[in-house]
Amino acid sequence: MLNALRRCAQRLMSTAAQPYPYSNAAIIPPPPAVPAPAPTKAGKGLMAHLPQRLLTPEKLQLLARFGKRHPERILPGSVLQVTTKYAPTSFTGVLLAIRRRGADTSFLLRNVINRTGVEVQFFVCSPHVREIKVLMRAGGRGSEGRAGPRMRRAKLFYLRDAPDKMTAISAGMRK
Amino acid sequence: MLRLWSLGTRSALPRCRALHITAVNNAVAEAESSTAAVSKWTPKSVRTGLIARKRGMTVMWDSYGVRYPVTVLQLENCQVTANVRTVREDQSEYHAVQVAASDRPAKNVTKQMLGHFDRAGVPPKRIVKEFPVTPDAHVPVGTTFSAIHFVPGQYVDVIAKSIGKGFQGTMKRWNFKGLRASHGVSVSHRAAGAIGAHQDPGRVWPGKKMAGRLGGERTTTQNLAVVRVDSELDLIFVRGCVPGVDDAHVMIRDAKKKMTQLAQHNHAKGNVDKVLPRGLVDLPFPAGTKELAKALPPVIEAPSSRVSDPFVPRE
Repeated sequence: MLNALRRCAQRLMSTAAQPYPYSNAAIIPPPPAVPAPAPTKAGKGLMAHLPQRLLTPEKLQLLARFGKRHPERILPGSVLQVTTKYAPTSFTGVLLAIRRRGADTSFLLRNVINRTGVEVQFFVCSPHVREIKVLMRAGGRGSEGRAGPRMRRAKLFYLRDAPDKMTAISAGMRK
Repeated sequence: MLRLWSLGTRSALPRCRALHITAVNNAVAEAESSTAAVSKWTPKSVRTGLIARKRGMTVMWDSYGVRYPVTVLQLENCQVTANVRTVREDQSEYHAVQVAASDRPAKNVTKQMLGHFDRAGVPPKRIVKEFPVTPDAHVPVGTTFSAIHFVPGQYVDVIAKSIGKGFQGTMKRWNFKGLRASHGVSVSHRAAGAIGAHQDPGRVWPGKKMAGRLGGERTTTQNLAVVRVDSELDLIFVRGCVPGVDDAHVMIRDAKKKMTQLAQHNHAKGNVDKVLPRGLVDLPFPAGTKELAKALPPVIEAPSSRVSDPFVPRE
């Protein structure tokens, strides 16, 4: 009898407090800062608008720096230092390639550690990536990091077979 | 844990056999709102599905930071055009909800279909499909569906016409292994090889796997998890891939294996906790409509399907 009363009280309290009654594990994220433009309701420009709806403003700013038209965009050939939440907590390397896919944008860093070439692909919008610092920018505009030579390619995969060029880049960093 | 569907009385539903399509001539429209009470989802109910458009794919990260691909499906004025009730020769009943989506200019619609849409009170549409349901799951004609119909955390089956690949060889079409790349094989590295025996049977079996047209046919991808629902833009995010090209029409319904079947079996066994997937309490019944969406938050997300953090090493 008492158990039934207790359950009744719990039931009343739970339905009043629950904003979403169909699932008790659902997450209700905060409403997006920018309202959706009208054409997206019909599907026009929806996929391009989605990163703004799904990502935080900090991640959107970071994503913009990896775009093609940002005034202080990060160019391949730059040396970046990435701080992450889990191991390896920090990784420095030459930016070999930027793979642009909206929210799935990623970049490839290469470094030679203990005479072993190591490449790591980082996803810009991943919650693990805490900070990206430019140590040397490859010819772009901006004040972050030291100035470096502009690369004439978008993808620097030839550096995998050119250890002398890798050492030249690291020498340029140390100078 | 409160389960509203378990409180209702068990009504003897009319004998409703395995649901399959029958002639439209026998179909009789369901009576409009015959019951005054709002129907509730029960483990034996089968809800209607929706028709959406596949807009593309993107990626999301869950609460642990695990990356997973998602397909974005958008409802385009998905409305009910009819409630189908057919009585078969052996007196069993077939019930279905006919759903239409994507408005179309009236000048491009045949007179017959214009009359059909007029009767339903909806603008002319591009695609009309029906979803077999149980008799308690009929939806009033003219109701506009919302993405709220699906609950983040549930599983769905997505049906669409797969991408056409044209005339394809046996290696791609039937996963044949082909022949060797060298060691004397002449001019037939991707060929099918032998297609039969000798004088017995002296013919090729009907249905022999051979080269031919691949793709462009109805394909079902089962048990995709719904991870996010956005009722402002009518978006349903499902985890994984979905057949079809971008902007193709897809049919989405509750997963037959992970939702309908499990609900019925666990309810019969008495496992009240396993009737719905983890975290789910109830499903919008008979359907998630625009009116219901106004009372609920605009964006709802499912928690991670994982139990523990995969990035923290276990002891």
